[in-house]
Amino acid sequence: MIDPALIQSVIRVLFAVVIITAAYIISTRNLSTLVSAYAFQSLTLVFMALALWSLEDAPILLAIAIITFISKVLIIPYFITTIQERIRIKRDIEFHFLSPTTSLLLSMGLILFIYIALSNILKDTAARESLFFFGAVIGLSLMLMGMMVTFSRKRAITKVLGYLSMENGVLLFGMFVTELPFIIEFLIVIDLIILVMLTTILSVGLDSTLEEYHDRLHRFHLVEDTEEGS
Amino acid sequence: MIQETLFVIALLVFVAGILIPLATASRDQRIFRIVSHGCTVIGSAALGILALLVLLTGDGLSWTLYQPLPGCSLSVTIDRLAAFFLLLIAAVSACVALYTAEYVEHLEGGSRRNLLCACTNLFILAMALVVVSANTFAFLIFWELMAGCSFLLVMYDYAGPETRKAGIFYFVMTQLSTLFVLLGIVLLYGQTGSFAFTRTGVSLIATLAFIALLIGFSIKAGIIPFHKWLPYAHPASPTPISALMSGVMLKIAVYGLLRFLLDVFSPDLWWGILILILGIVSAVLGIIYALKEYDIKAMLAYSSIENTGIIFTGIGLYVIFASSGQPVIATISLLGALFHALNHAMFKSLLFLTAGSVVHATHTRDIEHMGGLVHRMPCTSALFFVGALAIAALPPLNGFASEILIFISFFSSVAVADPLFKVFLFLCLGLFALTSALSAACFVKAFGSIFLALPRSPESSRAQEVPFLMLLGPALLASACIVLGLFAAQLFLLVGLSVPIPDMFLVGLLLLAMAFLTFAVLYFTASREVRVTGTWGCGTPSLKPAMEYSGHGFSEPIEIIFSTVYRTEMKNERKFFDAKNCIFAEGTADIRLMKIFEEYLYLPVARFSYLAATKISRFQNGCLDTYLLYVFCAVIAIIVYLGWLA
Repeated sequence: MIDPALIQSVIRVLFAVVIITAAYIISTRNLSTLVSAYAFQSLTLVFMALALWSLEDAPILLAIAIITFISKVLIIPYFITTIQERIRIKRDIEFHFLSPTTSLLLSMGLILFIYIALSNILKDTAARESLFFFGAVIGLSLMLMGMMVTFSRKRAITKVLGYLSMENGVLLFGMFVTELPFIIEFLIVIDLIILVMLTTILSVGLDSTLEEYHDRLHRFHLVEDTEEGS
Repeated sequence: MIQETLFVIALLVFVAGILIPLATASRDQRIFRIVSHGCTVIGSAALGILALLVLLTGDGLSWTLYQPLPGCSLSVTIDRLAAFFLLLIAAVSACVALYTAEYVEHLEGGSRRNLLCACTNLFILAMALVVVSANTFAFLIFWELMAGCSFLLVMYDYAGPETRKAGIFYFVMTQLSTLFVLLGIVLLYGQTGSFAFTRTGVSLIATLAFIALLIGFSIKAGIIPFHKWLPYAHPASPTPISALMSGVMLKIAVYGLLRFLLDVFSPDLWWGILILILGIVSAVLGIIYALKEYDIKAMLAYSSIENTGIIFTGIGLYVIFASSGQPVIATISLLGALFHALNHAMFKSLLFLTAGSVVHATHTRDIEHMGGLVHRMPCTSALFFVGALAIAALPPLNGFASEILIFISFFSSVAVADPLFKVFLFLCLGLFALTSALSAACFVKAFGSIFLALPRSPESSRAQEVPFLMLLGPALLASACIVLGLFAAQLFLLVGLSVPIPDMFLVGLLLLAMAFLTFAVLYFTASREVRVTGTWGCGTPSLKPAMEYSGHGFSEPIEIIFSTVYRTEMKNERKFFDAKNCIFAEGTADIRLMKIFEEYLYLPVARFSYLAATKISRFQNGCLDTYLLYVFCAVIAIIVYLGWLA
């Protein structure tokens, strides 16, 4: 039996890793490492679920770890990498409303803001464990940071990654604060896979004529205007 | 129980009346429309019998149709107040259906007429269901159903530009009305925590709910300054629909106000004063505008505003006397208001139907192009005459019977302690009396211009009497006007109420005796000498119909007296050749009746809404990122609320 105190400190380290990956997703302009960052973030969540499982011995946490590993570490990153190879874009340098630096600063403020807000909300609840409280703070922050990615990037593929990262936040929040029923978690994962598959189809185009292919790429902001002639 | 059976029969028959013409909407055959109208008559008869049973025995009915959620259900309850309005709906609907069975065949539109029949049935059913709603949730649902149906009916002749304008105006106003009713009901729900008609105490929320409901019902009832949809919608819609809307739908708004005042609120004195002022202003201005109107249906619409004003006056007096501890006078006022609602439903639908017959025969709505119809359409003119007598509140007809009740409660206001308040009430009494007089003048003008003298247009001289069914419906309404007038005192005794009105039958007999006496005296004393001579025609060789005493001529003196109310705008622009304005070049002169409420109230509000909408619509820029940003901000706002404000 592993010492619970050790597991708790491992979970704290994993929190920090999650935040670092989220910050990376917000600020990076390189698309291929973006997917890796997402896969790594999901893997961190898998470890976190496993750590919690060894702490609480709830089989549902093991199930969550398994499906998260299969879907978010293997399947989804595979699909997205396939798209990227097909549409040959490596960088996303267009931003809306917020630049990466501002986003980073804002997300720091956001974490602090959520920390204070949650302390206010939970101040009367006596059974407030610090680990679970941190889980809630990090989960909510991850969700909001993912949301920031969805509205501050212009490329569809980055938006999808932002959305996926947002879902990771929900999962984290669910693992620590609420008892999310397993079936709902499972459905969300299936939805995510469908979403990514749809993005693949829409990005690449169903038919193979060259004009429409380019048309679609432009319509979904998947290729920069300068590449049009190539 | 017989009440429940009757209600279910009525419901099913009306549903059949809706579905049959809808199912056969592609086939333009008269038989389906006749069946649909038959359903209206049978359904109305069932509703009428049910209403009479409840009125006479006092045994009500409660029934739940459908319960989507705990605490909010579509339930019906028929008490005596609901039964009274149900009777009103049933009586008018049956007569209108008889009329429509013939009228609809003369309308253009092919198989679209089937839809008209279906929608009319749905409209009547919706009005009946509003009245029998047992809770505010059902009330709101059926209220909106009624509003939607009436809009579709107004838009029957959708191709006409006039109809489209009227339709949009009506749609906006009727949705505003629903919005205010919804606001009132939501506020009440916040106060009481249930959708039932339960009594609330005196509180700020209850007062706000009352104001919202009063505005909502006033819009629907056509109370000034929310009246403007009436003179647009009535001329644009088919005649039976005008009759139903004016005769019945306005009363549904009155019912709504009464239901909430009697069952929900604990009214304050100033509520009564507010309702009284709205009522008196509507009554006086309504009839003044009616006098100026030459479109027969618009004139009747303005007259509806006046009559709704009278009903509101009665309700206002009820609230005033009830809150100042004089229940007897309060009851008289309330009965006056209710009785006037019934009477107005009868004579106004009678007038609308006969006016529709006249318009059908002459193809014009301008009363200055009519004339001489008393010889060409004798039955229609007799029926219109009964309606005109009733609406002018002449004894012994029903208009007089109900107005005298309101007069009696006004006279009783000497019992009120506060002298200043007494002066106010007597001022209102004066204005109320003026209304009655002007109403008589208005209908003298209408009857004279439409039916008397010589025809003033070729169509008018070729007019023919309408078919039997188009006379039968109005004839039933006219007999109802006479019966309700002559036996008013007896009818009140029959339902177990004693009111201080004179025995109108006796009054009628006396009046008849007076008429005979006058005729006899004149017959026996008049000279028998026969003298044939031409009328002095101011030196012209022959008199033309255009030289007759016209409606404009008749109302001119009244228009001069009330010229400040009408606010005529005169423009006189001249151009001169020289700098000193001596040699006249050209000029334009324009006399225009200002639409005060439209120009100073409706249009500014509309412009402001448009401006605000333009500003707000910038938020909808079609960019996904912006919408995601809104969601982000909303989430942050929720966290702020939960963390610091909750």
